[in-house]
Amino acid sequence: MKKILSGNEAIARGAMESGVRFASAYPGTPSTEILETIAREFPEIHAEWTPNEKVALEVAAGASYAGARALAAMKHVGVNVAADPLMTLPYTLIRGGLVLVSADDPELFSSQNEQDNRNYARFAKIPMLEPSSSEEAKDFVKTAYRLSEEFSTPVMLRTTTRISHSKGIVELEEPEDPPRASLERHPVEWVMLPANARIRHPVVEERLNRLKDYSNSSEYNVMEINDASLGIIASGAAYQYAKEAFPDASFLKLGLSYPLPDVLVREFAAKVKELWVVEELDPFIERQVKELGIDCHGKDRIPMCGELNPDIVKKAISGSVNTGSSSLKLPARPPNMCPGCPHRGMLWALKKNKCFIAGDIGCYTLGFLPPLDAIDTCLCMGAGINHAHGMSKVLDGGKKKIAAVIGDSTFFHSGMTGLLNLAYNKGIALVVILDNRTTAMTGAQDHPGTGIALDGSKNIEIDLEALVKALGIDWVKRVDPYDVDTTRQKVKEALEQEGPAVIISSAPCVLLPSRRVSGVPLKVDSDKCTGCKVCLGIGCPSIEFKDKKAIILDTCTGCGICKAICPFDAIGGDV
Amino acid sequence: MAGKRLSKDPYNLIITGVGGQGNVMASRVLANMLVNKGFYVTIGETFGASQRGGSVMSHLRISSKTSWSPQIPAGSADVVVALEPIESIRVLKDYGNPGIKILSNTRPIQPVGVIAGDLEYPGLDEIKGIAREMASDAWFVDATDKAMELGNPILGNVIMLGALAGIGVLPLDKQGFKKVISSTVAKDRLDINLKAYDIGVGMV
Repeated sequence: MKKILSGNEAIARGAMESGVRFASAYPGTPSTEILETIAREFPEIHAEWTPNEKVALEVAAGASYAGARALAAMKHVGVNVAADPLMTLPYTLIRGGLVLVSADDPELFSSQNEQDNRNYARFAKIPMLEPSSSEEAKDFVKTAYRLSEEFSTPVMLRTTTRISHSKGIVELEEPEDPPRASLERHPVEWVMLPANARIRHPVVEERLNRLKDYSNSSEYNVMEINDASLGIIASGAAYQYAKEAFPDASFLKLGLSYPLPDVLVREFAAKVKELWVVEELDPFIERQVKELGIDCHGKDRIPMCGELNPDIVKKAISGSVNTGSSSLKLPARPPNMCPGCPHRGMLWALKKNKCFIAGDIGCYTLGFLPPLDAIDTCLCMGAGINHAHGMSKVLDGGKKKIAAVIGDSTFFHSGMTGLLNLAYNKGIALVVILDNRTTAMTGAQDHPGTGIALDGSKNIEIDLEALVKALGIDWVKRVDPYDVDTTRQKVKEALEQEGPAVIISSAPCVLLPSRRVSGVPLKVDSDKCTGCKVCLGIGCPSIEFKDKKAIILDTCTGCGICKAICPFDAIGGDV
Repeated sequence: MAGKRLSKDPYNLIITGVGGQGNVMASRVLANMLVNKGFYVTIGETFGASQRGGSVMSHLRISSKTSWSPQIPAGSADVVVALEPIESIRVLKDYGNPGIKILSNTRPIQPVGVIAGDLEYPGLDEIKGIAREMASDAWFVDATDKAMELGNPILGNVIMLGALAGIGVLPLDKQGFKKVISSTVAKDRLDINLKAYDIGVGMV
């Protein structure tokens, strides 16, 4: 049976067909749908959202140690969080197959950087598979489990946004009989004390050599010899682009791209006149080809930044491309916080108190955009609280109105340790936890604060206020961000505190069924509206400015933030 | 194997719009209709931050022979289905060519810069003029208006799918739509979706 699946859905299917018993992840674009699909379609797999990616990889490793096949999925920057276990796991004995899916994001569709995680495979000395279509995504997962168990190593499956989110036809197959879980003890292989790790390191190196032999004979590393004047080495989405740009060229397509199949590369290089490596982001393959003493083109002509497409490849290798053009200047359409988003009320209150706002990763990062202009830093998950603490420690006059904003899910991910540090080191910054009861940016996933597990079961709902107090913060207040005046007042009060202060800004995401807005659009009284534009300052997509007056569109949710800030009482309707 | 031949192979179709308009759903339904007819279809899609009101685009590569890459090369789209009018022009800038066909909704969604009064949104007549100048054929339909008459603006995407069937560039039919949509929406939403599809067919 054939079905159209996204790369992520195909990975989930591949996990099921491989007999995977355990899957874990923290949501992150473009990887999120892998676990969502597993939870929705394959209840035989225990699937869980973990608070962060380090936990995801470690619990999956635990399942593997117990003999079951396990999968951990994350976006590229999530692997940074999981890098600590990743670097030592290859030293340990892998029983049930263990696959790490790293979904990279060239072009930064929804990320803070475009790091090339293929480097992690080389860094951790583990094999890496790179599918170039949904069909391959599913097949490669199955191969990854066989490799993982045959070589007793974690295996990395690396996708990019174009592979994870593109959809193609996949042939569905029956599941394999999975290995059964059982308890064993392997102290030398599992207790990574220096004495044991010293024994295990040579195992890693020797395994890598055997993997190289395997890579040279792998059915997924194939030569397609056509016109020998141009030879292209490529993997993943880049292979598809190069194939489309040069259908008659010869190809060495790498499915198992690390370790590099050195014998095949030499053989291929000898057969073609001009050798190119076509790859997105870093010259990962190119450098290794050059280390073999083989000269080739690559990043001398192909861009290092952004994703590729057939045109970029064609232009780099042969010159021209054709494009359409239009003289019409179009207004840009950046993403925006939704109408009725509760973050708007809190960001407005912080702005009105003239705060410097250290941001974090989530929908509220969009508060950076004009006209709100509210976010002053955004580095990585959990960094905001720490930025605020570091800044407020060195600035003269103490507090200086330094605030950090962080979402509830991000707080559980990696904000807790920062807050603990703030309390421990007598920090003075204001920390605002934007508690919208979900992981909103990735499409509303639950987390420990909602207490709802990935399978929908209700477990312990973590009490944020109690948690914050337990981390050592005495001054904790909860506010309703739709109540703009009170929120502004509470921020002022928090900034006046001698020590650290935490405000929990409490209102469900406007996309959740539990949202508190009326859903009935407000109205502007055009006689009272003076065209002062104060309401436009919150950047709500439902407020338009026409003929020197504000107009409220039918997308308005009636949240009332604009009504509260209008100096002329011109906005009416039930809130 | 496909029963009908395509006017070009691969046939490159772009569905564009604004996050929240049902772009992803439309591309999936269309792709399934075509796969059921025996075609190979690859959908190139990006979503994530853009779902919050940003520009979104799905690339469909349709072929009777093989699977194609998820990105349509510049200047190589055959038809553009725009759920929002200026998004059709945005796509034309990169993927336009003299043979391209445009099918566009008429209801604008103003970007936040326009709402704030800092940027200009071009007039619908100007958009139509450019589309007709740059494309071999252009159809403009009031899909959102009709969808709101049906009680929900989100049905605009299904009306646009019906209109796409109506312009006859691809082998699409009501039976094929019914088969796919039955397994996509809840039972009590089936009739309204079928009605929306018919309205779309009748609008071109």
